[in-house]
Amino acid sequence: MCNTEEHNIETANAEDSEERRESRAQFQELFEQFGRNNPQFNPELIELFQNMLSPLLQSQWHPEDREKGCSQEFIDSLPRVPRNKVPLTDTCSICFERFGNDNYPLLAQLPHCGHIFDLQCISMWLSNQVTCPMCRDVVNGHKVQDLDTSKAELEEDWGMYG
Amino acid sequence: MASLPKRIIKETERLITDPVPGITAEPHDDNLRYFEVTVEGPVGSPYENGIFQLELYLPDDYPMEAPKVRFLTKIYHPNIDRLGRICLDVLKTNWSPALQIRTVLLSIQALLASPNPNDPLANDVAEDWIKDEEAAKQTAKKWSKLYATPKQ
Repeated sequence: MCNTEEHNIETANAEDSEERRESRAQFQELFEQFGRNNPQFNPELIELFQNMLSPLLQSQWHPEDREKGCSQEFIDSLPRVPRNKVPLTDTCSICFERFGNDNYPLLAQLPHCGHIFDLQCISMWLSNQVTCPMCRDVVNGHKVQDLDTSKAELEEDWGMYG
Repeated sequence: MASLPKRIIKETERLITDPVPGITAEPHDDNLRYFEVTVEGPVGSPYENGIFQLELYLPDDYPMEAPKVRFLTKIYHPNIDRLGRICLDVLKTNWSPALQIRTVLLSIQALLASPNPNDPLANDVAEDWIKDEEAAKQTAKKWSKLYATPKQ
C-alpha cells in the first residue's frame, strides 16, 4: 500500500528518455488490450497489477479513475436536518462545533448511515471523497431513493436561506 | 498560510488538558500547526521503555487531509522506513476528517505493538521480520535502547 517511490516519480518522469516513453506506451497498449477490459482475466489480479503502477501512471492511464468524489448534484440532494431534530449538544465530527452553537445550523444527513454533519463541512469532504467520515459507508453507492428535498425545504427555519 | 481553524485550537487544548496516556503532543511556539510529539513504546512490545520522538504537521487542508507524521527517532520497524515515514492506512487512503491528532497518534502507538511485515515500507526490515521474527524483535529492542532511551 505504501509506495516509497511516489516521492520521486515526478522528477523521474521528467527525465524520461524517448525510449522509455515508447516502451511505456507499448506496455499501456498491451495492458488495455489484454488486461483491463478482458473478462477472461481475474479482476482481482488486474486490480492488483493496476495498484502496482505508480499513482502518476494510474492517473495518466485512467483519467476516469481520478474523478473521485461525489457529484455536486448528489451533495445538493442530501436531506437537510432541522435544528429541532438533533440534540444540540451533538457536534459536527468534522469541525467539532456543537450544532446548538449556531442558531440556524445548516445540517445534512447522509442517506444510508444517517450520520449528520454541517452541510458545509460534509460538502467539502464529499467533493473529493465518497465515504462517510464516521463509518466509511460509501455514500453514493446505494441506490438513490427519491429524495424529496422540496418537503425538507418547507420545514421551519428554511425560509432563511433564499 | 491559512488561518488556524477553531478545530485545531480545540484539539490542541484537549491534548494538553486531557492528554493521551503515553503520548505527548505540543505545538511549536511559532507554528501552531507543527507539533512535537513523543510516543512511549507499548508495554510488551520490543519498543517497551523507549520514548520515540515524532513530528506532526497539520497541512492547510486539515482536517480534509491527514496530518503528516514522521518518526524523528531511529526505529527498527517493518512499517517505518529509515526516513521515519510511516505506512499506516489512516495517514493515507483511510484518512477521515472524523479522526484527529490523538486518534492518529494512538494508531501509531498500536502499530508499534503490532508490526505488519506483510505491508512493508522498510523492505529489508520486513524481510528480516518474516525470516526470523525473534531475531528481528531483538534488533528492535536493541535499537530502542540505543536510540529511544531518554537522556538523563
